[in-house]
Amino acid sequence: MDKLTKEEVLHVAHLARIKVTDDEIEKYQVDLKKLLDDVDKIKDIEVESSELLVTPVEHESILRNDQDTRSVDFNEIKKNVPATTGNFVEVPVMVNE
Amino acid sequence: MNDYKTTIGIEVHCELKTNSKMFSDSINNYGGVANVNINEVDFALPGTLPCMNEYGIELGLKAALALNCEINKKVVFDRKNYFYPDLPKGYQITQARNPIGVNGYVEIEVDGVKKKIGIHDIHIEEDTCKSTHAETKSYLDFNRNGVPLIEIVSEPDMSNEKEAMAYLEKLRELLLYTNVSDCKMEEGSMRCDVNVSVSKTDKLGTRTETKNIGSISSVGRAILAEAKRQIEELEAGREILEETRRFDEKKDCTILMRVKETGNDYRYFPEPNLPPYTLEDSFINRVKENMEVLPDVRRKTYLDAGIHPVNVEKIIANKEISDYLLGLNCNLVIASNLLLGEISAYLNKTEKKLEETKLSKEKFTVLVNKLDSKEINNQIFKEIVDTLMETEEDINKLVENQKANALSETDLTNIVEKLILENPESVEDYKQGKDRAIKYLMGQIMKETRGKADPALANQLLLQKLSEQ
Repeated sequence: MDKLTKEEVLHVAHLARIKVTDDEIEKYQVDLKKLLDDVDKIKDIEVESSELLVTPVEHESILRNDQDTRSVDFNEIKKNVPATTGNFVEVPVMVNE
Repeated sequence: MNDYKTTIGIEVHCELKTNSKMFSDSINNYGGVANVNINEVDFALPGTLPCMNEYGIELGLKAALALNCEINKKVVFDRKNYFYPDLPKGYQITQARNPIGVNGYVEIEVDGVKKKIGIHDIHIEEDTCKSTHAETKSYLDFNRNGVPLIEIVSEPDMSNEKEAMAYLEKLRELLLYTNVSDCKMEEGSMRCDVNVSVSKTDKLGTRTETKNIGSISSVGRAILAEAKRQIEELEAGREILEETRRFDEKKDCTILMRVKETGNDYRYFPEPNLPPYTLEDSFINRVKENMEVLPDVRRKTYLDAGIHPVNVEKIIANKEISDYLLGLNCNLVIASNLLLGEISAYLNKTEKKLEETKLSKEKFTVLVNKLDSKEINNQIFKEIVDTLMETEEDINKLVENQKANALSETDLTNIVEKLILENPESVEDYKQGKDRAIKYLMGQIMKETRGKADPALANQLLLQKLSEQ
């Protein structure tokens, strides 16, 4: 197989919540396949004998004291969100069902 | 229709009673003004990093121990990726591969039959923000975003709604008694998703998941409704699809929800921002040693002490009283009767908690011992209970005063004899076996003594004097 199916591209687009045009779908069918082939090279590495690497950092996590707290004023946060209503962050309606 | 077997598994989410969030240092408190308990970490601003909350790990461990789980000493987290505004990071931090506890169980009892319900695993994760939907917009409050959660996944070991409800009651009780969570379903700090399948054979049928059911009794109704729907589908020759549904409380049925991502779509991978943390044996032992006395251990203590099973359940349902009874060295039957009776009435009347009263455990023990040795009777106790709750006054003095104030047996005998002479018609009624005569005369005694008479003694004297007539 030298390219992904149209459905596969649409599925990935859905997971990323992006709209794609028919032209883009055709392009991604090929591009994404190339990307996957590149990533597939990792499969050639023998990993069975080694433990899963979670992070390259060698030291363990340092735990935080539950009592130490810090909040940031919503007015500061507001500067980085698309829209607000009162104290709420406003987004396009998310429909659950 | 009855030859179908129902199989039930339950996933429970509980919020942990921490002071701050699981991976961010903002405050764990929501329900008030929106977006005040937040910081850069919650909003995943560039450059921010998560950090494990020590007490969150401790409470997760404690829950795993209380549910008899094997502990995974290596604490690691994973990313569960999905794109939705309720999580600004674009993923939830959870434990997909190495849950903190596995292979546990809780024991339930339904209609006198005990059964072990397996716990597949218990893992730590973070809550999402609260969203409110309007016509064209959704409004987000991030106070809940990042609040520590445990998810408890049962084995599909339950076969009817009664077992499912008993399982949830048991979980709630354990998490409340260990102070892991306040388990308020109405406020969303405990939430249930129920997996149901039906089958005529030993092979399990296709299951559906009914999400976010609002109360334990609704879980029971949702299971009945969903099992009925599945049986009707199968009987009509249709297939059951693996799908997510929700329970409509008013219509008493489950409704299909839009299909979201499942399984591989979440693209789980190890959370690289959180290096692993290894639980030391000393940490685990400390949590074990400091574990609260679990409800079933308390049940056994109370039953062994001779407390009536009905009262035992009343005590277990009232953690405040149950905690107060812990370590008391006195007659527990008397102690529990006082606590469930007059003392509860006082607390209800004054809207106080036990710890807000002046009734120390020492004072209470002296009181119970006095009742136990019959040094005082219930009547005297009733007279002094309010003073005991409200003042530091010495209990021995109070009792002495009350006794001096109380009627002597001779006084009471005189009153009984006087009333018998004044009420010949009641004596006649009594002789003819009419019960109301006793009730009437007892009423007169209480009136005459302004309630000071000990009812048991008065009754005894009355019957004695009447029989002499």
